[in-house]
Amino acid sequence: MVYQVRLEQFEGPLDLLLHLIRIHEVDIADIPIARITEEYFRVLTEMQDLDLTVAGEFLVMAATLVYIKSKMLLPPAEGEEAAIEEEDPRRPLVEALLEYQRFKTVAGDLAGFEERRRRIFGRVAPLEEAPARGPLELSLFDLLGAFQDVLKRAARRPDAEVTPRPFRVRERMVELLERLALERPLGFLGLFPADADRRTVIATFVALLELLRQGVVRVRQASPFGEILIYPLEDA
Amino acid sequence: MSLEPAAALEALLFATPEPLPPERLAELLPTLSGEEISAALASLRARYASPASGLMLDEVAGGLRLATRPEAAEALARLAIVRPSRLSRPALETLAIIAYRQPITKAEVEAIRGVNIDGVLRTLGERGLIRVLGRKREAGRPMLYGTSRAFLEYFGFQDLSELPTLREIEALVAPSQASRPAEDLPREESERAAPAADPAAGPAAALPAGFASDPVPEGSE
Repeated sequence: MVYQVRLEQFEGPLDLLLHLIRIHEVDIADIPIARITEEYFRVLTEMQDLDLTVAGEFLVMAATLVYIKSKMLLPPAEGEEAAIEEEDPRRPLVEALLEYQRFKTVAGDLAGFEERRRRIFGRVAPLEEAPARGPLELSLFDLLGAFQDVLKRAARRPDAEVTPRPFRVRERMVELLERLALERPLGFLGLFPADADRRTVIATFVALLELLRQGVVRVRQASPFGEILIYPLEDA
Repeated sequence: MSLEPAAALEALLFATPEPLPPERLAELLPTLSGEEISAALASLRARYASPASGLMLDEVAGGLRLATRPEAAEALARLAIVRPSRLSRPALETLAIIAYRQPITKAEVEAIRGVNIDGVLRTLGERGLIRVLGRKREAGRPMLYGTSRAFLEYFGFQDLSELPTLREIEALVAPSQASRPAEDLPREESERAAPAADPAAGPAAALPAGFASDPVPEGSE
């Protein structure tokens, strides 16, 4: 387990290599590949017991190093010096190291910005839950709360005097899906016309819940207190 | 009785959890003209520039809100306000790569970092710091990631052009001091400094030709 601790100081093989280059004070543009490879393997042997995925990444790099080392051992092809330089087998590795180092440095800058921002407090938004994978991407309470508002609105008008034909939830489900085919996303409030009576409103809401349960649609809210939107679920 | 424009604006900036962009202010204050809003803003700026207030105008991510002054941090520490934890080193590195190279696929980020980033990507997504911009038109249609408005807010940037400049390391000369301040660093890599994507624009607008954008990208992982 001692090894585990050792590994955690390195974000990956590139980080380890940069570390080796730094502590041995070698020139990154002219890496003594034999020496660095040896050092790299020494650390790897110390890390034997490691987590497989991590170790895998480190092993790929080990193979790369050996490959470069063997290439370096080959006698230089005849021709001009320039041609040889162009073919330096270390070059892709050096570029990867420099690229990684750039982002490593800038990650340090970001940490500084983060620290500065942590000194500033603003109003905190109501806790936003991480977007769920399921069909309901806001809490059921939010949805019911929104429905309460709709019901209140509908309560103001009396039910139709003429005996209405029964509102079948299934019918509302079909209608909802038909509307979704034309318009996506559908706004929650748009489901309930202002002149709709209570029964229609309830049937529509139950239809929505049923579609959610069946996983045919999903409902989400882009921002806290934002409009609730209904989406057809992507055909999986 | 009506509120003075500056007072109405102040109330909005106090109550809002997220910075309000100017367009939004105009929507929220429909009775005020653009000039009135600008004048009100100027007077608030002047008022909150003074250290006499514990609050300041926080201008971040293209918007405005009131927030506490950094100098008040120690006084506020005892309030023990719960906040998200600091980002880990791997998270910061991954975020840096995504910020400068967006839109970018997971595989491309992994190529630069040399490690698998599944876990980190999930964390960054859950914290809302990155978002899916669309899918790349190549085998497997991998998702393209970019930074979100929350990213700008978190680090205090107005827009992506405020990201620090990517610079060459001086490891060639002094290998042990890669993290010293920017002024000491001789070379800058300006052509890569400012990603062009406008953070405020919709995903589709930020995508160059050749990228298909996904209408409902979230949650389809």
